[in-house]
Amino acid sequence: MKKRAFMLGYGKQGKMICEGLEKDQFLITIIESDRMRYKKAKEDGFADVILMDVTKDENLENLLIEKEDYLICVMDDIHLNVYLTLTLHDLFPDSPIIALSDSIHTTEKLYMAGATKVIDLYRVTANRIHNLLRKPVTTQLLDGFILNTHNISFKEIEIPRDSFLDGMMVEEVDFSKYEIMLIGMIDKELSSHFIFITSGISHKLDSGDILVCIGKQFDLVHFEEMIRRKEV
Amino acid sequence: MISETIVRFAFFINSSNRYKKVKTFFADILVNPEYPYKKYLDSFMIFLILTSVGILVHGVRNPVPEWMDFYDIYIVSFIFFIEYIARIWVHNDLHKVIVSDYEKALFLQKKFSLWHSLKKIIIEKLHYMVTPAAIIDLLAILPAYRPLRVLRIFVLFRVFKLLRYTKNINQFVEVLNNKRFELLTLLFLLIFIVMTAGIAIYVFEETYNPHINTLFDAIYWALVTISTVGYGDISPVTHQGRVVSMLIIVSGLAMISFVTSVIVSAFSEKLTELKDNRVIEEINTKESFLILCGYGQLVKMFLRQKQESEYPYVILEKDPEKVKQALKDGYNAIEEDASRYDVLSKFNIKYSKITVLCLTQSDIENIYITLNAKSLSKDILVIVKAIDENMERKYRLAGADHVLKPAHVANVMFMTAITQPIMHNALEAILTGKSMAYIDEVKVYEGSSFEGKRIEDIPLKEKKLLLIALKREHNGEFIFNPSKDLVFEKNDVMVIMGLKISVDDFKEIHQRGLL
Repeated sequence: MKKRAFMLGYGKQGKMICEGLEKDQFLITIIESDRMRYKKAKEDGFADVILMDVTKDENLENLLIEKEDYLICVMDDIHLNVYLTLTLHDLFPDSPIIALSDSIHTTEKLYMAGATKVIDLYRVTANRIHNLLRKPVTTQLLDGFILNTHNISFKEIEIPRDSFLDGMMVEEVDFSKYEIMLIGMIDKELSSHFIFITSGISHKLDSGDILVCIGKQFDLVHFEEMIRRKEV
Repeated sequence: MISETIVRFAFFINSSNRYKKVKTFFADILVNPEYPYKKYLDSFMIFLILTSVGILVHGVRNPVPEWMDFYDIYIVSFIFFIEYIARIWVHNDLHKVIVSDYEKALFLQKKFSLWHSLKKIIIEKLHYMVTPAAIIDLLAILPAYRPLRVLRIFVLFRVFKLLRYTKNINQFVEVLNNKRFELLTLLFLLIFIVMTAGIAIYVFEETYNPHINTLFDAIYWALVTISTVGYGDISPVTHQGRVVSMLIIVSGLAMISFVTSVIVSAFSEKLTELKDNRVIEEINTKESFLILCGYGQLVKMFLRQKQESEYPYVILEKDPEKVKQALKDGYNAIEEDASRYDVLSKFNIKYSKITVLCLTQSDIENIYITLNAKSLSKDILVIVKAIDENMERKYRLAGADHVLKPAHVANVMFMTAITQPIMHNALEAILTGKSMAYIDEVKVYEGSSFEGKRIEDIPLKEKKLLLIALKREHNGEFIFNPSKDLVFEKNDVMVIMGLKISVDDFKEIHQRGLL
């Protein structure tokens, strides 16, 4: 089943995200209150574009938003963005809300309003400068992962039931055999937090645990298939 | 014959790299304020001067021990002598004059005259030797000559020598120099009034006043009175004399307040400039630093994320209001326009590793600053923020090393947050170094114990580290998840991940060659 995302706002940032999500096979619904941008979204080839007054609760309630749907608040008016985040969180408390912020104070307000994740434009850019200065090679490498230029990427792989990995200790598995690298995992038994492999604690693998690996796309897919088997 | 030998010698020196190196070193340490090691020589010289003066003062009432005398006469003076000679030596290049004259003569098929060249050289050296600084240097050596006890007072010239090593006094002189016209006018006025009043009192009181016997006495009295010092050893006794006193006291008050106001205004005019120069001088002593151009949200955020001792920086902003704001926020900012060549060239381009961050609100200005920085030195690292994302190509053409596109960076974060939430958290944790996973890079320096070793031989597993990738210097290629038998080459950069303590320990092993 395809994942759904509701884009609230089709400004510069909204447009970029929409294009990215479309590539990743998301079903996108764009909601705009500005006629010009509404038109622009239509012109850019998005089918599901709704023009409405986002300050009216009943309009938002009528949207068929379900629990797993992503709500992305990228209105250009930052006040409206905070207001919208609050409203959406009130109406759909289970849906993840990801919002755009342009200052540290707004970020705080967005979190208070109930955003699951806030992307602060200045913070991420400042972070990037720090990374470029402190760890230039690493930054280049990670950029490559994200943009997929080295054909290498991260993948989150859930251990299926009846896999041969079920019940093994992490140290017992030779990941290099599969040409991939285990970065960390989420051990359902312990907590739902992400644990890095280098933390030095040994883990027992169970079905339902999520492994985060890096490797060539092909090898990752191959590994995912391999662990479905009962035997090595 | 002699002339030929000298010319040959001049050519030899001209082509000697070693000589050039040695001379550059001496020139740097003596006269180049940007040279990082100059401050050590300066401190040493200041120490010599202070001890020498200390001995002079001590010797007024106490017998000076022999070793002190020896130190003062021979060691200090000898070092000053060497310094004096070295300064004359680095002032210009002898051999270049000879070589160029000789080549000119050869080209024009004239007879080469060594005497002519020597004359040129001597004139140029003399030119240096008559500068006030050089004369002070020479006089500071003189106290070494013992038979003339009077020469001892020349030790005071050693105090003047301090001028060379302390910038504050030079700046003071420079500020006063800017008000030369006003100060000179006042001086002439002072001389005029003192002379007139002196002559007047001499005429009126010479016969009645027992203290005024010569014109010198009269002028001395006038100066003491006009300056409002008024010792009282000489005072007027006639009515005419008292009228003259009253007049010069009033004009003296006016003049003193005038002089004070001239000096104060000179300083207040120059104060910001002096302060800014101070900031630049201080940052120039750092091995590497950042120049942030433009003060705004991004800079504020960047500095807030910066760790305390991490990279020194200075903000250049041309809007005085913003500079005020930055200073109020507690940041190191000066009012300068980074797009001007002379502004950036004030920085220590030769000896410091400089990174310029162009973060102004205009692409045109950012491009200009980029070009400005790159034209000064290709080694300056330029990171620039593109306002319009389509400008990237132009920034690359201008030579920017990294182009930041905020909307783009934010977009990547949005995308990973939506499509790969776990990776998003992992990446953020890795890069901010806040969690168990710390990612860092280790460069295999030349002569490192890692060079030529296989990955297997390096204690990665023992230190619980993950070698994610290796970057080869010569082709810039990333070797992801390198195999165990890969051999390290010099300048490889390892990207490793692990606990911070593991990473630090590993780095120490590498640094100290403890393999």
